[in-house]
Amino acid sequence: MHREETGAQQLLKLGIGLAAVVFSLLLTALVILLAEASPIDVFEKIVEGIGFSGQGADILRISGVINFWIPLLLVCTGLLVTFTAGLWNIGVEGQMMMGAIFASYVAQFVFLPPVPQVALEIAAAALGGALWALLAGVLKTRGGVHEIFGGVALNNLASIFSIYLISGPWSNEGGQASPPFRSEALLLPYNNEFKVSLVALALMVVAFIVIFAVLRGTRWGLELKAVGKSQRSALLLGVPTERDALQALAVCGILAGLAGSTRVLFTYGNLRPLVSGGIGFLGLLVVLLTGTRALWVPLISLLFAAVLAGSTRLKIALQLDQSLVGVVQGILVLMIILANGVRGRFFAARQAAADGASAAGKESAHE
Amino acid sequence: MSVEVRNIHKHFGPVHANNDISLRFEDGRIYGILGENGAGKSTLMKILSGFYRIDSGQILVNDRVAHYDTPRGAIQAGIGMLAQDPLDVGAFTVLENFVYGQPGGILPDWEAARRRFSEIEKHLGFELNPELSVEYLSIGQRQELEIIRLLALGVHVLILDEPTTGISAEQKQVLFSSLKRLAHQDGLTILFVSHKLEDVLDLCDEVAVLRLGCLVGTAQMPVTTNDLVAMMFGQELAPASRDDIPFGDIAVEVTDLHMISERVTLRGLGLKVRAGEVIGLAGLEGSGQQLLTRACVGLIKPLGGRIVVAGKELTGRHYRDFLAANVCFGAAGRLEEGLVAGLTLTEHFILADPEQTAWIDRDRGTRLAADRIAHYHIHGQPESSIEMLSGGNQQRVLMALMPPAPVLMVLEHPTRGLDVESARWIWEQILARRRDGTAIIFVSTDLDEIVTYSDRILVFYAGQVTEVPDARRTTVDELGHLIGGHSVLSGEAV
Amino acid sequence: MSRRLLLSLVVVAALLLPAVSTLAQNDEFVFGLVFVGPRNDHGWSEAHYTAGRYVEEHIPGARMVFFESLNAADAPETTLEQVVDEMVGEGAQIIFTTSDDFEEDTAAVAEKYPDIIFVSVSGDDVLAGTAPENLSNIMGIMEYGKQIAGCAAALATETGGIGYLGPLINAETRRLAASVYLGARYCYEHYRGLDPDDLTFTVTWIGFWFNIPTVTLDPTEESRRFIDNGADVVISGIDTTEALVVAGQRAAAGEAVWGIPYDYKNACGEAEDICLGVPYFNWGPAYVDMIQAVRNGEYTQVWDWNGPYWDDINDVDRSAVGWVNGNGLTEEHAAQLDEFIAMLAETAPEQITKDNIDEPGQQIGLWVGPLNLQNGTVLAADGEIVPPSAVWYLEQLLEGMTGSSTAE
Ligand SMILES: Nc1ncnc2c1ncn2[C@@H]1O[C@H](COP(=O)(O)OP(=O)(O)OP(=O)(O)O)[C@@H](O)[C@H]1O
Ligand SMILES: [Mg+2]
Repeated sequence: MHREETGAQQLLKLGIGLAAVVFSLLLTALVILLAEASPIDVFEKIVEGIGFSGQGADILRISGVINFWIPLLLVCTGLLVTFTAGLWNIGVEGQMMMGAIFASYVAQFVFLPPVPQVALEIAAAALGGALWALLAGVLKTRGGVHEIFGGVALNNLASIFSIYLISGPWSNEGGQASPPFRSEALLLPYNNEFKVSLVALALMVVAFIVIFAVLRGTRWGLELKAVGKSQRSALLLGVPTERDALQALAVCGILAGLAGSTRVLFTYGNLRPLVSGGIGFLGLLVVLLTGTRALWVPLISLLFAAVLAGSTRLKIALQLDQSLVGVVQGILVLMIILANGVRGRFFAARQAAADGASAAGKESAHE
Repeated sequence: MSVEVRNIHKHFGPVHANNDISLRFEDGRIYGILGENGAGKSTLMKILSGFYRIDSGQILVNDRVAHYDTPRGAIQAGIGMLAQDPLDVGAFTVLENFVYGQPGGILPDWEAARRRFSEIEKHLGFELNPELSVEYLSIGQRQELEIIRLLALGVHVLILDEPTTGISAEQKQVLFSSLKRLAHQDGLTILFVSHKLEDVLDLCDEVAVLRLGCLVGTAQMPVTTNDLVAMMFGQELAPASRDDIPFGDIAVEVTDLHMISERVTLRGLGLKVRAGEVIGLAGLEGSGQQLLTRACVGLIKPLGGRIVVAGKELTGRHYRDFLAANVCFGAAGRLEEGLVAGLTLTEHFILADPEQTAWIDRDRGTRLAADRIAHYHIHGQPESSIEMLSGGNQQRVLMALMPPAPVLMVLEHPTRGLDVESARWIWEQILARRRDGTAIIFVSTDLDEIVTYSDRILVFYAGQVTEVPDARRTTVDELGHLIGGHSVLSGEAV
Repeated sequence: MSRRLLLSLVVVAALLLPAVSTLAQNDEFVFGLVFVGPRNDHGWSEAHYTAGRYVEEHIPGARMVFFESLNAADAPETTLEQVVDEMVGEGAQIIFTTSDDFEEDTAAVAEKYPDIIFVSVSGDDVLAGTAPENLSNIMGIMEYGKQIAGCAAALATETGGIGYLGPLINAETRRLAASVYLGARYCYEHYRGLDPDDLTFTVTWIGFWFNIPTVTLDPTEESRRFIDNGADVVISGIDTTEALVVAGQRAAAGEAVWGIPYDYKNACGEAEDICLGVPYFNWGPAYVDMIQAVRNGEYTQVWDWNGPYWDDINDVDRSAVGWVNGNGLTEEHAAQLDEFIAMLAETAPEQITKDNIDEPGQQIGLWVGPLNLQNGTVLAADGEIVPPSAVWYLEQLLEGMTGSSTAE
C-alpha cells in the first residue's frame, strides 16, 4: 500500500520499531524492579534458560525450547489456514485434545511394530483433530453457529471427554492420567543431549513448508484468501465458500491433532487432563500478532517458545512470583504489537481513512 | 475564503495521479471538478482535505501557504470534505454523532449542541431528527448530517466527491439548493466532483477538467454538455448504439415470484426474457428491483414461484448452480460484492479462470490479466490491488471477469460512478454480448440509461411492478412519473 | 520514557546485582520443592511452602528453590523433568515433589538422577516396591485430622446435612472423605445423642485438586449447591478454600452455615467467624528430618506415614498433622472435640512406616468394624481393626455416604 515510501520514511519506521522494543524492555525492567528483582538478572536467566550462557550453548535447554515450539508451530500453521479463510478457529484447543485422545487410543490398544505403530498414532491424531474441526465447521455452515461459539463449546466437550477417559475407562490406579504408554508407542528423543523427537520436528517443518506452499501457490489457497477478505465477493466470483471453509477447518484440525499427538506421545508419554495446555490459544495469539504473515510465524512462535521455556529457569533461579512471568510475556506481546501495529498504523491511518471514504463514496446502500 | 493549489504533484507508485495542477477557488462560488475515471479528481480533493500528502507543490489558503497533512489540520485551516462513511459509529444518534465530531471537553454541553445543530439545520433547509440512530439514516441524510457537522466546525471550503450517487431526486434538490445558498449567500467555496454533467450544469458556476492527472481546462458557465464532453475526452461522444436485433428463445422465465424483504414485498411477478433482449428495471432504490435480480441468480431464495434458465429449472438452487448454468451477475456494491479488496487484478482473473488447475499457473494468470487490462482499457497493473483502482476501472474489471457469452447477464447499476465515456464503453461491451444472444436484465436509477438501452422496461414502485407499454418510445419524463407512483398506465402483470 | 528514567533503572539494577550474588554462600544446602498449585493457595501448596521456609529457619545454610503451579494448564511449556534439571543445576541435593500428580514422573527422574534424593509426597512407590533407592515417600496421617473435622461438623450441624467437596477420586481421597464421615457419625451419636443414620453426608468430586475453569466442576458453584440442598456444613477436601468462602458469604447473608477448609494452618482466615476449624499438614518436621539425613549422609529410603504428636497436635516442631479450632466452634463443642481427640490418641500409633505397616493392632482412630463399603461388602467385622494398608488403599467409600466411589 505504501509504494510512495521514501528513504526517510523507512528510517522512521525502523526507528519506531526500535523505540517499541526499547520501550517494552524498559517497561519490563520497571515491572521487575517493582517486584524487587533485578531486570538484568531476569533477562540473563531467561537467556540462560533458553540455552545460552557464558559457558556456551546448553543443548538440553535448547531442546526444551524446541519441544515446546513443535506443537506451537504446528497449531500456528493450522491457524494460518483458517485465518487466511477469515475463520476464528477458537476450537483449535479442543482439536489438539482430540488429536491427543485419538493418538492415545492407538497407543494403548493397538499393538504394531514401532514404526507403523507411531505412524498409525499420528494418523489417528490427524483424524481426531480433523473430525473435531469439521464438527465446528458443520455447526457453522449448517447450524449457523459462529465458529467462535461452536469452538468454545467443542473445547469444553473435548476436555470433559478426556477427563472422563482418564478417570474412567483409561484410568491408572491412583493417578489422574492414563497409564504410561509403552516405549514402542512413543516418539523418542534423538539422544540424551538433544532431547527432541526428530519425527515430530520433521512433521513440524514439513507441515509448515507444505502449508506455506499451498497457501501461496494453489487455487485453493487463493480461494481461501479471497474468502477471508470478503466472503460475499468470493462467493460472487464463483468460489465455493462453504466447502473451502470446511476444508480449511479440517486442515487446521489435522495440524492441531498432530500438535496434540506430540504432547501425549512425546512430552508426557500418557494422556493427561488439559494436554493441550493452552497452546492452541497461544497459537491464536501468535498468528494474530504476525498479522497472518506466514513467514513471521515460525519466528514469533519460536520467540514465545523460547521465552516460556526460558522462564522455567527464571522461575527457579530467582524464585519470583509466577505472575511476573506472565507480565514478561504480556510485555512481549505488547512489544510485537507496538513494533508491528503502531508503525503500520502511523503510516496507514490517513491512507486507510482516505481509501475508506472513497470506497464508500462510490458504493451505495443495498436493499 | 479562497483556496489555491500550485504545481501539485502526487504519485502512487508508477501512477502520476496529479501532475502539476494549479487552480484557484474563490469564495462564494461553486466549482465543478470533472474528468474521466482515474483522472485524479479524488486525489486532488483528498490532498486539499488533508488525507493525502503532496509530493511537491503548495496549498494556499487566503493567499498564505498552508501546511497541513491531516484531515484535522485541513479542517482547522477551514477545508472540509464530505466523508460518507465515518459516521458509522454503531447506534449513536444524530446528535451524539454531531457532538462527538466537535472539539470540546469530556462533558459536552448537550443543550448548546442541540441549539447549534438545529440552527444550522434550519438554515440549510434539512430535516433530521436529532434523536434518531444514525444507522436508520439514508445516504442522503447522512450527507446532510455530515455537512452540518463540518459547518459547525467552521469549515469555509466544502468538498463533495460524487455526492449524488445513490440519493433520490428529491434529496438531490434539497442538497443543491442548500449548496447554492451556502455559496451565494454565505460566501462559502464549494468543490463538487461528479460525473453527471446535468448536475454540474445545474449547480456549478465554473468547472475544471482533469485528464490523466493533468488540468486540461477550466470554463465559466454557461457551457453545454457537449462542450464539457469535448473538454473531458477530446471529442464528442454518441451513446453506444443499440441495434434492433431479432430475439432468440426464452433465456429465462420467472413465474409467480413471491418475495419479501424488510421494505417491500413482491407478489406474483412473472417475466420472460428472450435471448438478446434487454430488460431495464427502473424505480427508486429499494422498490424491489434487487429482489428480482437476486432471485434471478440464486442469491435470495424466493418464497414462491419458479425460475427457469434456458429450459433448466433452477428454483431454490444455489448461486453456484446459476453460474454453472451460465448466468452471470454484476452486483451494485463492487467492493462488497464481486471484487475482493486486497486481491490483485491477476488474482481475480485466476479465480475466474476455469482453465486454472489446482496448482496455479502464475504466468498464465499474469498474461491473462495483462491481456484483459489491454482489451478492457483498465488503468491498472496486473499486480495492483483492486481497491487501488478508480471506480470506473473497478467496474471495467468486473466486466472483464464475466464469461464471454453467458445465457443471462444480471447487472445492478452497471455504470454508477462512471464517467460518460466509460459508461458508454461498458454498454458497448454489454450490447456486444447481447448480439451474441445474451439476455440482459439491469437495474438503474439513471433514467437516461434505462430509456436508451432497454427493449422493455419494468417500473418498480413499492413492490408493484408495471411494464411501460412502449419502451422504445417512452421518455425520461414519462418514466419519472411512473417511478414516483403517480399513475399506473397498465395494471397488467408482465 | 526519558533518558533520566533509563539511567536510574540502570543504576538501580547495578546496585541490586551484588546484593543478589552475595546470597550464594559456600556452606549452603539447596533443596527443591515442586508445587502443583500456587504457593499462596492457602491450602495444600502453601502448607508445603511454609514447610520450606521452616526448613530454612531451622537448618543453617539451607536454601529452598521451588517451582509453583506445575500443571498442564499453568505451565504447558514445563515438564517435571525440566524443573528437576534446573533444580539440580541450581545445586539441589534433595527434591520434594509435592503432589500425587507427579508420582510417575518423579519415579522416572529419580532413575535419571541416582545421586539426588527425591521425596514423592503422598506417593506409594516405596510401599509398592517399585521405587529406586533414592526415592522416598512421606505423608501425614490426615485421617485423624479428617475425623476431627467430621466430628466438628456433626457437633455444629443443625440440619444433619454435611457436604464434602472432593477433588478427584482415588484411594487417598476416598479414605479422607471416609474418615470425615466416620468422625461425623461418631460425634453425632455420642455427643448429640442422635441417630447417625439420619446424617446426610454427600461427596461431590470436582475432578481435580483445584478449580480449572471449564475442566473441573466449579467448587464455588458446588459449595453453593450443597447449601441449597440443605447442608449447613461444607467441608473442603480440595487444595483451595472455596467451600469456606462460600459458607462465609452465605452466613453473611444471614444463613446458619459453617465451613471447614483443609491443608493449611491459617486457612480459616478466609471466613473466620463461621470456620469450625481446620485439619492441616505440618510438613516442616518431616522435611527437616529428611534433609538432615541427606546432609549427614545418613539417608535411607523411607515410606513414612506420620501422625500427630498427641501431647500437642499443634506442636510445630513435632506434629505432622494438626487441627486448630475456628471461631465458629462454640466452647461447649470445643470441649467435646478435645475429648474426642483424646479418645483418638489412646489407640494411635505415632508413625506408620513401610516396616511396621503390616504389624497387627494398629488402629487409626475410628477405623474399626463393623464397617461396610459402599457396595455392601464387609470391610471389617464388628470390633475388627481395619489395618492401615487397607485404609491407605481404600477401594470404596463407606456405606452410608452419598457420592461416587469410582469415576464411572
Ligand atoms: N491509494 C492509492 N494507491 C494507489 N493508486 C491510487 C490510489 N488512489 C488513487 N490511485 C490511482 O490514481 C489515479 C487517480 O485516481 P483518483 O481516485 O484520483 O481518480 P478519480 O478521478 O477520482 O476517478 P473516479 O472518477 O473513478 O473516481 C488512478 O489511476 C488510481 O488508480
Ligand atoms: Mg474519484
